[in-house]
Amino acid sequence: MSDITLTSTEIGAAGQLSLSPEEHKREQRRYLLRRTATAYLFLVPAAVFFIAFLVIPIGFLFFYTFHNGGIISPRVYVGLDNWRNVFRDDLVITSIKNTLVYCLMAIPSVFVISMFLALVLQQATRGGSVFRSVFYLPTLTPYVVAALIWQFVVHRDFGILNMTLVKLGRDPVNWIGDPDMALKSITMLEVWRGVGFWTLLFLAALIGLPKELYQAAAIDGANAWQRFRHLTIPLLRPTIFFAVVMATIWNLQLFDSVSIMTNGGPQNSTATVVWYIQQTTFAYTDKVGFGAALSFTLLMLILVLALIEIRLLRKR
Amino acid sequence: MVETHFPELDATVPPPPRRGILSTASLYKLAIYIILIVAAFIAMVPFGYVVSTSLKSTMSLFAYPPDWLPDEPTLDNYRNLIDRYPFWRWLMNSAIVAGSVTLIKLVVDSMAGYAFAKMRFPGKEPLFLLVLISLMVPFAALLIPTFIIVRELGLLNTYWGLILPGLASPIGIFMMRQFIESLPSDLENAARLDGCSEFQIYRRVILPLIKPGLVVLGVFTFMTQWTSYLWPLVAATKPQMATLTVGARSLTSDFTQDWGLNSAAAVLSMLPMILVFIFLQRYFIAGSIAGALKE
Repeated sequence: MSDITLTSTEIGAAGQLSLSPEEHKREQRRYLLRRTATAYLFLVPAAVFFIAFLVIPIGFLFFYTFHNGGIISPRVYVGLDNWRNVFRDDLVITSIKNTLVYCLMAIPSVFVISMFLALVLQQATRGGSVFRSVFYLPTLTPYVVAALIWQFVVHRDFGILNMTLVKLGRDPVNWIGDPDMALKSITMLEVWRGVGFWTLLFLAALIGLPKELYQAAAIDGANAWQRFRHLTIPLLRPTIFFAVVMATIWNLQLFDSVSIMTNGGPQNSTATVVWYIQQTTFAYTDKVGFGAALSFTLLMLILVLALIEIRLLRKR
Repeated sequence: MVETHFPELDATVPPPPRRGILSTASLYKLAIYIILIVAAFIAMVPFGYVVSTSLKSTMSLFAYPPDWLPDEPTLDNYRNLIDRYPFWRWLMNSAIVAGSVTLIKLVVDSMAGYAFAKMRFPGKEPLFLLVLISLMVPFAALLIPTFIIVRELGLLNTYWGLILPGLASPIGIFMMRQFIESLPSDLENAARLDGCSEFQIYRRVILPLIKPGLVVLGVFTFMTQWTSYLWPLVAATKPQMATLTVGARSLTSDFTQDWGLNSAAAVLSMLPMILVFIFLQRYFIAGSIAGALKE
């Protein structure tokens, strides 16, 4: 499309054929300069915020990993102490492990359920828009509210799940009090909240697929599964690619639901990286440097995992 | 390619299998709707429970086994919430913050998106690559430096302190660029030949054409801000600056949990989002694809 823009420039230059080559060159340079200046002028407003609250904080964060204090107490240079502590701290290992386990449980479940629902929703001739809104409702819930709602689901005495279990004659489960169950309960909440978003995204992508291919495949005798496997999945590659990378970035930052439902417990079984960052920095002690080093670790973790995914999904 | 209406959304895309007898087709339809209804039920039940709890009196909250529906519905919890807590203040704070971030982002990101999509200038590719990479930066990791910067600017417990960090996210630039790039260049070129400046083209040609995209980015930004919890939690320590999420959370102390009150707050804080979504959902679905899918 930018080729067309180029053509219009050439038309502009061609209108002044009487210019000498030097004049032409000068005019062209002036034009290019103006064009560049205009473009940068359009970028400046966004760049101000981008630099002030993204680029500078990243630099600042790195600087703080070598210091301590700064929020309540004065800042002191501590060298590599924070980094050493991060890699020695047991809770750091636990929180990274919990976060990864959570991602491995949550992301595949969300994607399988969402893709299934999107495929089903695509077949619904009537009432599609009602179902779409209903499915999206959990995504619109603020985490604070979602976590409250979820307490009604997993509460030991009057939660929906246990009431149902008891009615079925099973033993009630201690969904958030049991260290083995707590992270799973959080995962259930996040899946419940996330499915709507991805369903709509997949549905939008499915609707955009070329129908002729499906008709051709049906004529060739491909069954529904074959069509899904050999047409839908390859055609949805860009969507799935985007979805996997974004879901990884977002889910590695799990915090709100943990902070509200379990606050990391029981026995640190739901301690996540961001939860720990928030704890070290704002909740208990003034361990800003440690929190900064942990934040930087998270940043690196996300970058590395996202880049690995991009590598794996781009090729093939 | 920017279509506002997606009539196909409601239409069957591949025709249901026709295997001679009608019953196979209708059985298939039945299965589809059973699945959808079960899923809708799972999505809705917790909400129903919250709405029902918000209407229960304090006494009936402790009934065991709990009732699905309140015996005598009462608005006491709502009255309580509004009388005893600065609920309207929280609502106003949330509206101011989410609204400002949304408006500013729409302007700023569509401008940057236009530059990235339609202009040619040195440094364009590396700068856009920077935008793409920064999509991966988690806000949570920048919590500490952002807090310190906002504090140094003297903006803790102010609206600007809550608004500014929300403006940094590059996802809007990315989305706007994708939208604007999909527009044919003929219109803007025609405007250019007519002597329009770049700003006039942006204002008169591009903005009207990307309305669906603006709605999508608007809803997305508003939603993110409305539900945001971590940043207001640390940046607004004074009760009168609390947003809805922080305020609703403050209803629960470590010792008591007033379920009825909490539920009333939950219902009220969700209503605006639900209304926004119902009005704009058509755009939202159409747009989430255009923003996301093209690389």
